[in-house]
Amino acid sequence: MKLLAKYNLVNVATTIIVLMLSGLVYYFFIEHALVHQLDKSLVAEEKEITDYIKENNALPEPSYTRDEQEVYAPASGGMITRKFSSIKLPGNGYYENVLYRQLEFAVTVKGKIYKADVRKSQEETEDLVQLILKITLAIVLLLLVTLFIINRFVLRKIWKPFYSTLQQIKQFNVKGKDNVSLEPTNINEFAELNDAVTVMATRTIHEYIEIKSFTENASHEIQTPLAIIASKLELLSQSENLEEEQMNAIQSIADTTSRLSKLNQSLLLLAKIDNRQFATADKINISAVLLRHISNYEELFHAKEITVVKNIIREVMITTNETLAEILIVNLLTNAIKHNIDKGFINVGLNEKHLIVSNTGKVLHVNPAIFFERFKKDSTFNDSMGLGLSIVKKICETYGFGVTYHYENPLHIVTINFA
Amino acid sequence: MNFNKISSVKILIVEDEKELSDGIASYLKSEDYLCETADNFDKAIAKIDVYDYDCILLDITIPGGNGLDILKELKENNKMDGVLIISARNSLDDKIAGLTLGADDYLSKPFHLSELSARVAAIIRRKNFDGNNLLKFENIVIDTIAKSASVKNKVLELTKKEYELLLYFVSNKNRVISKNAIAEHLWGDDIQGANDFIYTHIKNLRRKLIEAGKADYIKSVYGMGYKFSAQ
Repeated sequence: MKLLAKYNLVNVATTIIVLMLSGLVYYFFIEHALVHQLDKSLVAEEKEITDYIKENNALPEPSYTRDEQEVYAPASGGMITRKFSSIKLPGNGYYENVLYRQLEFAVTVKGKIYKADVRKSQEETEDLVQLILKITLAIVLLLLVTLFIINRFVLRKIWKPFYSTLQQIKQFNVKGKDNVSLEPTNINEFAELNDAVTVMATRTIHEYIEIKSFTENASHEIQTPLAIIASKLELLSQSENLEEEQMNAIQSIADTTSRLSKLNQSLLLLAKIDNRQFATADKINISAVLLRHISNYEELFHAKEITVVKNIIREVMITTNETLAEILIVNLLTNAIKHNIDKGFINVGLNEKHLIVSNTGKVLHVNPAIFFERFKKDSTFNDSMGLGLSIVKKICETYGFGVTYHYENPLHIVTINFA
Repeated sequence: MNFNKISSVKILIVEDEKELSDGIASYLKSEDYLCETADNFDKAIAKIDVYDYDCILLDITIPGGNGLDILKELKENNKMDGVLIISARNSLDDKIAGLTLGADDYLSKPFHLSELSARVAAIIRRKNFDGNNLLKFENIVIDTIAKSASVKNKVLELTKKEYELLLYFVSNKNRVISKNAIAEHLWGDDIQGANDFIYTHIKNLRRKLIEAGKADYIKSVYGMGYKFSAQ
């Protein structure tokens, strides 16, 4: 539930209750005041009647109008106490039931006691009360309409900076070059929020850049010592009269050094793709790139007796970075060769929509999706670093390509959707 | 300049890591190249102002300045020195910048000395061209323009990779070359575990050389790799 809706609900509910209550209070007070007014005029009537009796020593003529009635009746025993009351009398066929305010009192004419009732119609009071109710309802309605208009036009405008800030936070990317740019606002709460968000974003970006540049520098710095180790080993291997044991050791150090260096380079590559250092995108003839690399590995296929089936449509153009496209293709092909079996086959399919590389390989015991994660590999492939497919995935993410890996015994199938 | 007068080939190594430049120098010296080193920007500039080098190995990140500025200096003075950039940055921008400024090649650290040596040889071949595009080793003649090789005037039927392999061997003659270095040279450094496959290539190349003229120069060095030598 939106804050606005919740606030409105409470607001409207309380307003209606308060209005209804005030209507009720109005009703009682006004009724009370009006009845009091009627009572006063009844007392005036009473005085007129008693004055008339005193003067004429006779009862005045009773009257029966709709608004006012004076009725006299001989007292039928018992005490007659003076009292005010409201009574409803049946209409006389023409009128409906009418509510009257009545004053009952005793009068004495020629020693005889009569009960006198003076009544005045309360109809006007009723009308007034109804009017009050109507006005109250009208005010409630007006209030609802006003609230609606305020919500619709004013509040939306007031909350706009908030939603704009929210949108910025949602879109905030620590890897993005730009900081958040927030709409200026003269509402204190929002201004405070914006300040806090800006400070947070700036700090996050700053720290991210620090960590990133540290990682990159560290990786770069590692390359030079590795280069020294590799060159010394190569010089060492030129020495005459090396023992078999020494040669094995040299080779093993050289292999490990090379692995370390490749690992480092792969991590650097991932970082660079992350940093969008391959920003330039051109229309690349992916068919040509693919065919060129397949032919580059021709002899490897031959050595492993791998059959390559090509279903490659010519001149498929993809908008991407050329270097990354090459890396993508190389990673897919070398994966298909590395994890293949002797006398296996590789199927390469390419059209405008997708690139599919499938190959025979060892039986897979894990969910192939994990291979997209860094350093995840099947324990049976020891010479693999588990970064190849992470790089493939990263490249695909960068250019909005979809990538899936599934295993249908005996085929390992990697599909890249360009759309 | 005749390529066969090897002793006259001069190389300048601009690299601040002494251990690395020493390693490179001692590897290249056995090729009978004359190697000099410069470990900072000013020394490098001083040297290139005075001498002409056949090839300059240029690190981009050196104390006192940017290696690319040395390259600019060379080009402004119309120096014909060949330039091979060796950088730890392996950044595409550096590579493009370097090649645009007129560098002949780019190699990222770490590299195999045998690869470096082959690249240097290729640069020198191009620079000291003089119509001499023939590379000779014993009875083998490699035509680097036609990309063909012959033994005793009999042209060898080599695949592209076999030709590259032979050229690589001749550029690193009398050296032990690791299988890793060969695999990376042939397929780039993307393919791991390709080492086993080079065995087939080497076997085929060796057979072709022997068949053509008893040119059995490829020796297997136990545990480490191969060596191309006449002895």
